[in-house]
Amino acid sequence: MTLAITIGVLTFGAVFLMLQRGLVRIILGFVMLGHSVNLMLMSAGGIFRRAQPLIGYNPADVASDPLPQAFVLTAIVITFSITVYMLTLAATGRDDDTGGAP
Amino acid sequence: MVLLILLLVLAAAVIGTPLADRLLGRDAGWLLAAVLLALAGGVLALAPSVLADGHTPESVLPWMPQIGVGLSLRMDGVGWLFTLLITGVGGLIMAYSTRYFPPGRRLGFYFLMTLFAFSMTGLVLADDVVLLYVFWELTTITSFYLIGLSGPGASRPAIRTFLITALGGLALLTAAVLMALRVGTTRLSEILADPVWSQDPAFATTIALLIVVAAFTKSAQFPFHYWLPDAMAAGTPVSAYLHAAAMVKAGIYLLMRFTPAFSDLAVWNAALITTGLITAVIGAVFALQQHDLKRLAAYSTVSQLGLLVAVIGVGKEAALIAATVHTLAHALFKAALFMMAGVIDHEAGSRDLRELGGLARLMPVSAGVTALAALSMAGIPPLLGFVTKENIFKGLLEAPGPVWAGPVAAAAAVLASAFTFAYSFRFAYGTFWGTPRGSTDVREADPGFLAGPAVAGVAGLALGLAVPILNQLGERGAVDTTGAYYPAELSLWHGFSVDLFMSLAAIGFGALLIRWTASGEHLAGRALFPANGPTVFEALHDGVIGLGRRISGLTRSDSPTRHLVMPLLVLTALAGVVAGAGIEVPDQYGDTTHPLDWPLVALATVAVIGAAVTDSRMAGLVMVGVAGFTTALWLFLLGAYDVALTQLVVEILTVVIAALVLRRLPRRFHPVPRTRTALTALIAAVAGVSAALGTYFLTGRRDISDSGRYFLNHSEEDTGGTNVVNTVLVDYRAFDTLGELVVLGVAGIIIIAVLNSSGLLPSHGSRWVVVSRRSAAYDADDNTMIMRAVGHVLLPLIVVWSIYLMVRGHTDVGGGFVGGLVAGAGFALVYLAAPSASVARIQLAYPMFIGAGILTAISSGVLGYVDGSFLKPLHTELALPWGGSLHLTTALVFEAGVYLAVVGVVLTALNQLGLEESRPGDSTLGVMGTAPDQPPASTPEKDPGDHPEDPLDTVRNGGTR
Repeated sequence: MTLAITIGVLTFGAVFLMLQRGLVRIILGFVMLGHSVNLMLMSAGGIFRRAQPLIGYNPADVASDPLPQAFVLTAIVITFSITVYMLTLAATGRDDDTGGAP
Repeated sequence: MVLLILLLVLAAAVIGTPLADRLLGRDAGWLLAAVLLALAGGVLALAPSVLADGHTPESVLPWMPQIGVGLSLRMDGVGWLFTLLITGVGGLIMAYSTRYFPPGRRLGFYFLMTLFAFSMTGLVLADDVVLLYVFWELTTITSFYLIGLSGPGASRPAIRTFLITALGGLALLTAAVLMALRVGTTRLSEILADPVWSQDPAFATTIALLIVVAAFTKSAQFPFHYWLPDAMAAGTPVSAYLHAAAMVKAGIYLLMRFTPAFSDLAVWNAALITTGLITAVIGAVFALQQHDLKRLAAYSTVSQLGLLVAVIGVGKEAALIAATVHTLAHALFKAALFMMAGVIDHEAGSRDLRELGGLARLMPVSAGVTALAALSMAGIPPLLGFVTKENIFKGLLEAPGPVWAGPVAAAAAVLASAFTFAYSFRFAYGTFWGTPRGSTDVREADPGFLAGPAVAGVAGLALGLAVPILNQLGERGAVDTTGAYYPAELSLWHGFSVDLFMSLAAIGFGALLIRWTASGEHLAGRALFPANGPTVFEALHDGVIGLGRRISGLTRSDSPTRHLVMPLLVLTALAGVVAGAGIEVPDQYGDTTHPLDWPLVALATVAVIGAAVTDSRMAGLVMVGVAGFTTALWLFLLGAYDVALTQLVVEILTVVIAALVLRRLPRRFHPVPRTRTALTALIAAVAGVSAALGTYFLTGRRDISDSGRYFLNHSEEDTGGTNVVNTVLVDYRAFDTLGELVVLGVAGIIIIAVLNSSGLLPSHGSRWVVVSRRSAAYDADDNTMIMRAVGHVLLPLIVVWSIYLMVRGHTDVGGGFVGGLVAGAGFALVYLAAPSASVARIQLAYPMFIGAGILTAISSGVLGYVDGSFLKPLHTELALPWGGSLHLTTALVFEAGVYLAVVGVVLTALNQLGLEESRPGDSTLGVMGTAPDQPPASTPEKDPGDHPEDPLDTVRNGGTR
């Protein structure tokens, strides 16, 4: 339940920011949405096991599911690169305002 | 095997074209002609085996074995004939091209022509529908470029041709997919032999119609016929090859290839015969109307293709013998005529019949060659065209359907042939005999220039005289298409048969036409139809584009918010529907809530509220950073140490890079009306509640996934790695990771490209820190001293540590992503510690890092082929001298690629966004030194007089740092 609440809170923040005026807040919302979705992936993998999936440290029957972790790891790096790209767009042109657009 | 060699030689010729062009210029054509003619010789050498003994060479290589698609090649009699035409006529045209063009390099032309020959050969030899489709589209694409590159006026015709033929390509693709699904194989020969064609008429009809659309677009049948004259914007060698001998014959080939499946289908017979004859007649009438020799020849091609389509539609043995041999005859005379149109244009300076006439005296050889080709086209004995056309009449008489079908079809063919006789006369007589017009300063063409058309023209005569040698070809063609043997009995003299009288009727009526219309002059230039093809096409094209614009106009907006809100609303509505309908959910599986989680919930709430209420950009960034750190802590709690570490470093780097951007923007966010804030808060609340409820009810209610269990239990024995997440990334699902790596790298390159094209905003005026010159904080050099000193020591340590993280990733927490990010963070530290942006620039060719990273990852993937497949990691144990062993794997090379690419992207972001300001064109892909327009390091001693306007004796000292 705690993870679900965290996801709900982060999604609220993400959507709120993404619907604001100005590219920077949209980017910040996008970053937060990334957090929310990544946690959702972890939740989908099941969070009742919380030992790290390192053979040798933990036996295989208590370790957490490695598959969502691998997804999330690459997702974080991709989100980072897209964020940097969007930040670049915000820093070009005249301004980052999106208010006057038709 | 022999087929594979044939294709490989052509592929080698394609690859060798740039070198040949560099060494020989336009004379590269001789070399390519030699290659193509040698291949044609090879094909001829196969004649005894393929035609006489009935052998069918095949060659099969696996391509996509998982879905059963192979590089299957097969040469039956039909394939043999088309291969011979493509290589033989191609060779003649290559030789011709060496004199058609002025001296100089012709890389684009020769490359595309050779590529076209390769694709066309592949097309007629392919025994796999997927392969067939690929080659089919390759011919479309090469044709597009060959037309489009011919001159400024050629771009619209090229686009029109491309769109029409691509439409047919889509039909062929649909047919290929449907057939493969239905029959269960992609082997063409097996598909054609399948009983489904007779068992399921509805399916057969669907496929037949799709094949008909494909063939009609490619072979310029009514109502698609107009693209062919339109495509005359291309150079003459291109027209002679693509639009006479080869590409337009692809449709004919396709129809012959599918005749075994469809010859008994009434729709097939009717569509082919009717459309073919309509095309034959109107093409012939249009041809007679033309002033331009090339357009005349183009309409004539349309007409002749119509005859071929009609006779294939008959589907009987005699008809297909006629189709086979007429394809050969047509390729010879039409290629010759096209090439002669080019020769005439070249020597006389015009190919307009109104400016030509009486050239026979000046160009006797050209006149002879043209006459031979024209006589063959007109169907005059003893040329090959006479025999083949007579066979077409004979074939059409057998047209299936009502009793009147045969005679009517044959009569239409006679009518078309009468016009053919007339326009053949117009072509040859109007140019070489007739009233002398235009320039008299005309000389006979160079022998090299005439060789190609002469060989084609003389071949028409020789084969006409010795026509029985084509019996075997015709018979094999009939066997391949109808499955039955039928004696061809080709000869110049059959006695007084019906078809002889039909030939005579065509010639007689043709002669009358010449008299009535003054060999076409009376008809020329008159509009017979209210609209012409290109106009109709452009109207349709504009209509479709306009329709698309109107539809997209309903939702078009440049405001990101409007686009973003749509999916959000739809998703939340979906959540509402699901909640309203109610779904069965299983019980919670295991304990998903720990007491330690609650502080994180509180932290996330604080971060979100902070980010939502603040109007300061920097505060917003910090709050989102807090949310990121909360996420990292969550990941720690969930046992995902690797992921948490990655999240932590990414969060640091995101904040650093965002800070570089924020100092270029106003301090505050743009103001938003209260009502909008309330509305967005409402939408956000609905979205948040949906997300929370969705997560709570739809996840965490089952045991660990099967694949997760497999990885946990097997990763050590499969890969030797004990960090299971890492083995998933670099061993089990390395291909996914490679894809993500490329996305990452592309993002880095795009940053450079964007800044190169639009420049970077300067630091925002209100953000300059105003400091008194006497203040201790004034001197940036002094200020940053400690940080710089620490940074200098730390950077090498951080880099070493990051490499260690990468290397140990396979067995312990770490990996290429984390390692690369940590190294990037080290550079960020040095960057932040620098006294000014220009000093901070990292003198490394960072874009090269990205490329090197991706290349390293790919080459580790290629290494995998040693053991069977791309990206398969290789393992070895290396015995150490002091006992024990070291596990080595190529997955580590892959990790190194990941590491390099990540470092490259971080460095790119820091350097590109860290500039004081940049203008379009400033960013480069190489090592970036200090650009001259950069402000110097802010050491005021060097430029004391730089700010005379500053009455307060203060100075801007740069940035927010």
